[in-house]
Amino acid sequence: MGGIREYFGNISDALTSTVKGMAVTWQHFSKEPPITVQYPRARLAVAPSYRGLHILEQAKCIDCKLCAKACPVDCIEIESVHHGRILEWQKFTIDYKKCIFCEFCIPPCPKDCIHMTSEYEMASADNEHMIEDLLTWTGLRSNDRREIEAADAKKAGKPAPPPPEGVTAPQPGGPAAGNPAPYGTVYTSTFAPGSVGAPGGAPRGRRGAAAPASAPASPASAKPAAAAPAAPAAAPAKPAAPAGPAAPAAAGEDMAAKIAAIKAKLAKPKGDG
Amino acid sequence: MEALTGFFAAHLPVGPTLALSLAYAVCIGSLLGFITVYAMFAIWMERKVAAHMQVRFGPMETGGWHGWAQSVADAVKLLFKEDLIPRDANKVMFWFAPAVVFCGVFAGFVAIPFAVGVQIADVNLGLFFIIAIASVEVVGVIMAGWASNSKYALFGAVREAAQVVSYEVPAAVALLVPVLIVGSLRLGDINGWQEAHGWLVLRNPFVIVAALIYFISSLAGCKRAPFDLPEAESELVSGFHTEYSGMRFSFFFLEEYASMFVSSLLVATLFFGGWTLPFVNVSAMPVPVGIVVLLAKTFFFIFVQMWLRWTLPRLRVDQVMSLGYKYLLPWGFVCVVGTAVFEAMGWRWLPV
Repeated sequence: MGGIREYFGNISDALTSTVKGMAVTWQHFSKEPPITVQYPRARLAVAPSYRGLHILEQAKCIDCKLCAKACPVDCIEIESVHHGRILEWQKFTIDYKKCIFCEFCIPPCPKDCIHMTSEYEMASADNEHMIEDLLTWTGLRSNDRREIEAADAKKAGKPAPPPPEGVTAPQPGGPAAGNPAPYGTVYTSTFAPGSVGAPGGAPRGRRGAAAPASAPASPASAKPAAAAPAAPAAAPAKPAAPAGPAAPAAAGEDMAAKIAAIKAKLAKPKGDG
Repeated sequence: MEALTGFFAAHLPVGPTLALSLAYAVCIGSLLGFITVYAMFAIWMERKVAAHMQVRFGPMETGGWHGWAQSVADAVKLLFKEDLIPRDANKVMFWFAPAVVFCGVFAGFVAIPFAVGVQIADVNLGLFFIIAIASVEVVGVIMAGWASNSKYALFGAVREAAQVVSYEVPAAVALLVPVLIVGSLRLGDINGWQEAHGWLVLRNPFVIVAALIYFISSLAGCKRAPFDLPEAESELVSGFHTEYSGMRFSFFFLEEYASMFVSSLLVATLFFGGWTLPFVNVSAMPVPVGIVVLLAKTFFFIFVQMWLRWTLPRLRVDQVMSLGYKYLLPWGFVCVVGTAVFEAMGWRWLPV
């Protein structure tokens, strides 16, 4: 008797469970839109606190190298020549082959000028391209140059001109021993939505998506040729530097515009191609 | 076929033999073309169905609209792939196996009536012929599995043989039910009978069960999930065609989809009225209407096969065997006897 009950129980189990399962798959098939996105054309929104590629507000940066010292994998390399308060930028590179996106470089910054964006596309066929230069310009901007020349002229009037002060030799990021140990410090992420500067995406230009709109004709003359060797191969692909006489203010505005543009791009909800 | 031969003999300066050969060539060519195009469409459809049941997109890029040309691209790729034969394979068998497998299914198409008179050969034992010729496929599968000189392929072939031979029995028994009612093995007759008397599924409850049994058995016969043990990816790589690549592999692929078509078409023809529709006299309409109706029904059942594939997990070997022999086969006999009683007593289940 038990055997017969089991036999018919099997039949009804098989039929009911099949029908139930088919109802479930039919629900998926007919009702639910795909949860995947057609990636290159549509993207999922990234969390606002996402730790992606870096962005540098170069006008604010004072070349203190605290970010490089804080870096646990020594992937940040900064080189610049100091002319008093004015910096002649050589390089500010992040080696994304090494970078672990720990965000330890962000809190030590006294000027709050380095940020992490939600840009995550860094695939490249070439190792060289994995070293990204964050500088938007290298060398001196023209108004800085004028300022230095003026200062030099003033000095030249004096009998014994001292050498240009503080020509710092290029230093790689400090070894761990010299670190000012940011690990113990309590900090809040600078990426709370609405905080200064950075929460959006990157105006970083490998894809150059935001470049045409946000980089109005800035001639290559803004970059002194002397500084060229420091720039990696990827530099020409970057959006051209917001250079020129009105640089600092323009740079700030430009950056804000870029960030807004990329934010808008990334905040776009997933489309279904 | 005869009509075509007559047409060629009348309109071309050829003798009767040449006219016959020409007619054969045209029929076979169009059938091959149909199967190829259908298979490419069905593969695309399967991928889309699978994707949407898993809440994905599936192919979206190739060809523009929802990746419609994906299968075409895949077919071209398969044709141009290098033809690999394992060093220790039995080359002759390895060579012939895909052809045997495909011929088995392809021959089945010959006896299928797509509409009134649209049929290559009006075999008076059409149903019997299709079941019989479809079994040839097993021979090819065993050849492929054995000739590959691979354990996976051999196990896949053995499983396939056991499964297909087992499930042919309930399938044939279930197909006896419509034959019992109609009294003919000619598919055209069965269709015509349904035109006059209504769909066979509505005849009595046993026919419904018989249709279900045949559908399940045909799933097993096509090696479709949940009976895809011969190709169990997680255990056997891809079963009997593990060692096949390129064009030969595409023949196995083609065969799978072609046999899906044949079995779905048999379900539609034998149980669901073939090219007829309720309340509409399709026979009075032009022939293409009948073809479209039949193809629509066929594709519905193909869709159900895909639906089941992406719903059910794979059965174990012992479950497959117990389902075949302990459940489907006895119930098949019950259906035959029950239908015989219904027919003998002149009972009707529904007022149709």
